[in-house]
Amino acid sequence: MATKTDYKLKKKDFRQVNRRNLFGNQLGWNYEKMQGSGYLFIILPQLRKLYGDHTPELKAAMKAHNQFFNTNPYVNTMITGIDLALEEKEGIGSLETVSGLKTGLMGPFAAIGDSIFASLIPAIMGAIAANMAIQKNPFGLLLWLIVNFIVMYIRWIQLPLAYKEGTNLVTRMRGQLSALTDAAILLGVYVVGALVATLVNVKVPFVAHIGKVTVDLQNEIDMILPKLVPAVIVALIYWLLGKKKMTSTKAIFIVIVVAVVCSALGILGKAS
Amino acid sequence: MHSDIAFWQVLLLTLYSMYQTIDDITIVSSLAQPVWAGLITGLIMGDLGTGLVIGGSLQLTVLGVGTFGGASKIDANSGTILATAFSISAGMNAQTAVAAIGVPVASLMIQTDILGRFTNTYFQHRIDRLIEAENYRGIERNYLYGMIPWALSRGIPVFLALQFGGSFVSSVVKVLNTDLQWLSNGLATAGALLPAVGFAILLRYLPARKHVGYLILGFTITALFSTLFTNVQTLGTAVAKVSKGFTQSFNTVSMLAIALIGLTFAINEYKHQVELQKQQPAAPKQQDDEEGEIYGDED
Repeated sequence: MATKTDYKLKKKDFRQVNRRNLFGNQLGWNYEKMQGSGYLFIILPQLRKLYGDHTPELKAAMKAHNQFFNTNPYVNTMITGIDLALEEKEGIGSLETVSGLKTGLMGPFAAIGDSIFASLIPAIMGAIAANMAIQKNPFGLLLWLIVNFIVMYIRWIQLPLAYKEGTNLVTRMRGQLSALTDAAILLGVYVVGALVATLVNVKVPFVAHIGKVTVDLQNEIDMILPKLVPAVIVALIYWLLGKKKMTSTKAIFIVIVVAVVCSALGILGKAS
Repeated sequence: MHSDIAFWQVLLLTLYSMYQTIDDITIVSSLAQPVWAGLITGLIMGDLGTGLVIGGSLQLTVLGVGTFGGASKIDANSGTILATAFSISAGMNAQTAVAAIGVPVASLMIQTDILGRFTNTYFQHRIDRLIEAENYRGIERNYLYGMIPWALSRGIPVFLALQFGGSFVSSVVKVLNTDLQWLSNGLATAGALLPAVGFAILLRYLPARKHVGYLILGFTITALFSTLFTNVQTLGTAVAKVSKGFTQSFNTVSMLAIALIGLTFAINEYKHQVELQKQQPAAPKQQDDEEGEIYGDED
């Protein structure tokens, strides 16, 4: 049972969906339906072509796509692609399936997309860019911009891919994606280790005078392990974040207060 | 040390703050990140270096903070704009500005973000009604109106703070530099310490537990090399002062080289994982079952 118009989606349609997705995806984000109206906005012209204007079918489709929806904004059009393939083939009869598919896929897609695109890439690129920026070198920012343009390209090509391959795509890519995520986490963890050693610029300025002997505490610590102070501090904050009811914002303020107190007592200071 | 920010600068910064909100929810070009906010604000205020340092510091502070499921995150971008602008105009130390202005502003802006997202519910309701009326143009228009609350949620507070906050900030700076020197030093220390929070958040998120060995490896290699390189640099500078014939200069440790070592391990891990999946046909099958639930509606 195809749609009444028998319309087949063309390249032009994918371009339009992609354009609307890239430049308008979350503009209507709200607490009630989150990306709900966004999903409808992105495919509205295609729905009109598939069902025809002012038909009860179109109204039913619009209502179905104006429901609660929220997933990772980098991979959402994969769901859109699978959805469009189904609706093109099955018409209004597929709406129930499509609604189930959307609700069923938004969770797993959010998990994959969030860990790669919303966390790992910003963390790694952000670390590189910030590391260079602190040395007053803007090159890392440019690098980040380039990487994000590549990500936009991926977002662009995944729609026709998902449309063609349908649900097989998810099954096929899942193994590779989990291997890739695992490798990326390894790299991320390693880089954080490296950053702890270079970018937490604090030292212990405390110098004890015991009789005639002067003990420079920082020097003693360096003899055990250079950069031990930053490592201990990160470990302490890591522990703090594991506490109940702790949020990152609260942790940031606690660190500021503790740093000011320790600095006033002469225990901690900014390294040159 | 004059504390005024010219009106055209206020205007440009406000426009940028509105643009970056929209960028971050649509194309995500990275222009909405704190480092870029630092660069752009630095350019507008005429001090690129300070902008980069403040942007970089705040970027590191929020390294592991993401928005998931529509939760509002600490808005380090707006924090960077105000911290950079006031640091340059009022002559505040960059690290002090990070802790004294950047972080408080960033966390206050969570409230305006929530307000913006809340306001958009109004347009959602209009869309609900327009579907009944079959007004296709109206649906699209009301959807696009959603960008107004988003843009204003950053534009209004940034504009007000830049336009009217200048004299307040410069009087604070005056006190910080004289009577409250200890507080100024403390805030600078806090600014230097804040990246540690970003790293800890990131380690919680990643999660680090599975690859803790590589955390230690990355840290140790870098700790040793950076100490070595810095010492050689110090030595080089000292020798150059004594001997005029000594013209060799030394660089700091290359972070790219250190990252490449990590990349080697990551590539191996990827290959290993793919091999494992090939060897165990049982494991993917289990995944299929799991997916059967998800696609249950398909049959």
